[in-house]
Amino acid sequence: MKRIVINTEACDGCGICQLVCSAYKAGQWHPALSRIKIKPLQEFGLNLPVVCMHCTYPPCEIFCVMNLIYKEPDTAYTLRHEEICIGCRACEIACPFSAAVWDPINEVVVNCDLCGGNPECVNYCPTGALVFMDISEAADKKRREAAGVQILELSRGFLE
Amino acid sequence: MKDYPGKILEINLSTGSISSRAVEIDLIEKYLGGIGFNARILYDEIPAGTEPLSEENVLVFAAGTLVGTPFPTASRTEASAKSPLTSQFGTSNSGAFFGIQLKTAGYDALVVKGKSLTPVYVAISDEEVQILDAAFLWGKECWATVDILEKKHYGAEIALIGPAGENLVRFASIENGRYDGWGRTGLGAVMGSKNLKAIAVKGTRGRKVHDSAALLEAVRKGQQLIKSASSYIAFTEYGTLNASIPYGKNKAISAHNFTLGTLPDWKEIGGRQIVDKYGSRHVACQSCIIACGHWTEIKEGKYAGLKIKDLEITPVMSFGATVGLNTEAIIKASEICQRYGVDMVSAGGVLGFAIELYKKGIITTEEVGFELDFGDDEAAFKLLHQVIDREGIGDILAEGTKRAAEQFANADRYAIHIKGMEIPMIDPRGRWSTWSLGMLTNIRGGDHLRCRNPVENLRFNDKDEEYMKERFGFKKPMYDRLDMPEDLKSQAIDLESDTVDIAVMSKWAEDLINLYNSVGICIRPPVMEKVGPTIIAEACRAFIGVDISAADLMKSSERTWNLIKLFNLREGEKVDASKFPRRFYEEDIDGNILNEEKIQAVLEKYYLVRGWDGRTGKPDSNTLVRLNLVDDLG
Repeated sequence: MKRIVINTEACDGCGICQLVCSAYKAGQWHPALSRIKIKPLQEFGLNLPVVCMHCTYPPCEIFCVMNLIYKEPDTAYTLRHEEICIGCRACEIACPFSAAVWDPINEVVVNCDLCGGNPECVNYCPTGALVFMDISEAADKKRREAAGVQILELSRGFLE
Repeated sequence: MKDYPGKILEINLSTGSISSRAVEIDLIEKYLGGIGFNARILYDEIPAGTEPLSEENVLVFAAGTLVGTPFPTASRTEASAKSPLTSQFGTSNSGAFFGIQLKTAGYDALVVKGKSLTPVYVAISDEEVQILDAAFLWGKECWATVDILEKKHYGAEIALIGPAGENLVRFASIENGRYDGWGRTGLGAVMGSKNLKAIAVKGTRGRKVHDSAALLEAVRKGQQLIKSASSYIAFTEYGTLNASIPYGKNKAISAHNFTLGTLPDWKEIGGRQIVDKYGSRHVACQSCIIACGHWTEIKEGKYAGLKIKDLEITPVMSFGATVGLNTEAIIKASEICQRYGVDMVSAGGVLGFAIELYKKGIITTEEVGFELDFGDDEAAFKLLHQVIDREGIGDILAEGTKRAAEQFANADRYAIHIKGMEIPMIDPRGRWSTWSLGMLTNIRGGDHLRCRNPVENLRFNDKDEEYMKERFGFKKPMYDRLDMPEDLKSQAIDLESDTVDIAVMSKWAEDLINLYNSVGICIRPPVMEKVGPTIIAEACRAFIGVDISAADLMKSSERTWNLIKLFNLREGEKVDASKFPRRFYEEDIDGNILNEEKIQAVLEKYYLVRGWDGRTGKPDSNTLVRLNLVDDLG
């Protein structure tokens, strides 16, 4: 189960991912048409990339009045039949990450489809803030890092 | 592409009329965008001899051609008007996210004319352009204004002035959001004179591109090129601060208003390790893969809790060296400049000038109201606020060093400016290079940002008695990879004697930087080293769909440069204005002193390389015919 894993620490807010996404997905160049969004949090000195997390039990799927959102059986991607979307934007409200994106050209809501398994935003990300990897692997990496920090803290306490 | 989608938006504040016209493809082929558009528009629309702070002055913002694409560092917008500081072509370049919003709102350029009777701001959202009342914003500092406008216009990028611009301080800046700005040449005062507080622009449309796949290919190539630059890693870590220690070592910093050459504790004050101490995360402009900016925070001490973006060489030099402040005070000074909207370089220059006058006894404690000294941050900030509010002696200093020096007896010697604009950071007495000549030949006065050897090696400081050469200092692969026409390259760089011909390189560097300012990319060294006209031409072809070659690009850049020169000559630029301040020829630092005649010889050689008259520095008619500018000779 490969997903886009976000490393907030590394994001410098250059916005290349947004432009590349809009070019590939909308055929036009504009951050607003992108399915990945960067939210600058200047008070924390952070930039937060927001993209569909492909939840296991997606709230948007439950909320969709047209029942057009579905989980792809093989990859478990959250996809949608955009052609029957009525643009009610209920899924936008339901999404806990605000990752459902209003497409102003076609007037429907869209979300990241991971480019069918080769996300272009990740290919162009210059800092490694976006990584396409297996989520269990990513969780494992995080656990190890956290454990490493804790062991370091403990050993420091022990030495003192 | 037959119909280029960009438009030029024109707002007349006197009449309240708003109109837009399509950008003709001919204009793009000839002038590309950015500074090219600005030069053309200002040359056509500003009558000769216009008073810069009057209704007739025209302020133009033009986003570079490639802004709005992920081409590395394509984020930059050029703002131009007749400068209140130099009374010549005033222009300044800024990155961040204003350009992409302007571009995606459908506009390549925004032209502001006339003068409003009451304070107003302009809100642009695609075709919807409004001139709105700004009485509630007038007098507010920049960050507070941005906070208010961001709430009113969600997602908009804001160009605005602070109290300095409102008070017509001649070196006021236009701020670009909270932390960036069009600093130099006093464009903020132009905006203030028009009673225009801010421009909030937001685009919601996408830009169609002639050939998306080819553009993405050019983007990928551009990214690889920049990543392979020798200075790339250093720049991603420390940004422009890499240069501060080499210049300190060469005794080439502006220490204490250009009297010392270096400071004993320069490494602690301005060395690049201050990034490790105060900086945290990197922060990029639109589409940048270098991200030289840092979030900066002071954790303890007098200025604890202060947070800004950036720890850059410009404030470090102008406040750290010229005024002699410590690192924390430098960060505070940057904050003041950003919040009140003043150009950091000129502000530092004016403070250094005032402090030296005080120390020489030309101005007294009674006139200032308090004591001044190099390194005294509280006094410096008090004086800076007086300048911003035009109170007391600040009212004179707000006119810039050149005009202020006329108000005091014998003060001329201490005013460090070229053509009226304060010189930034580098002292050509300590290190003579293409960069130093560029300060003389710069179309906007004493400034360092329009000419720089693309392959400058700061490790070396070979002094050439004739001022004609600088050390190349790299191996042959660097020479081979440099994107420059072969015949010109062999003229500019001599591998055998390992030297660079300053006059020839100056012309190339100026045209190259002018090209960057036209297409909207950044002049950070990793870009200059690797991104030449070839890859830019590839991206432009894919973007606009016009068959344009690298040589065409360089020619249109040269055309722009010559047009600006014509503008300056029309505004009365004198040939003897291209001189360093007297101090550089008459006072030495550790034996380093400039020779006026020899520098004049380099300058004359440069004029000839440009195809200008060697003696008067005026563009030759042959050159103007070659550049299709002959109609503009007037």
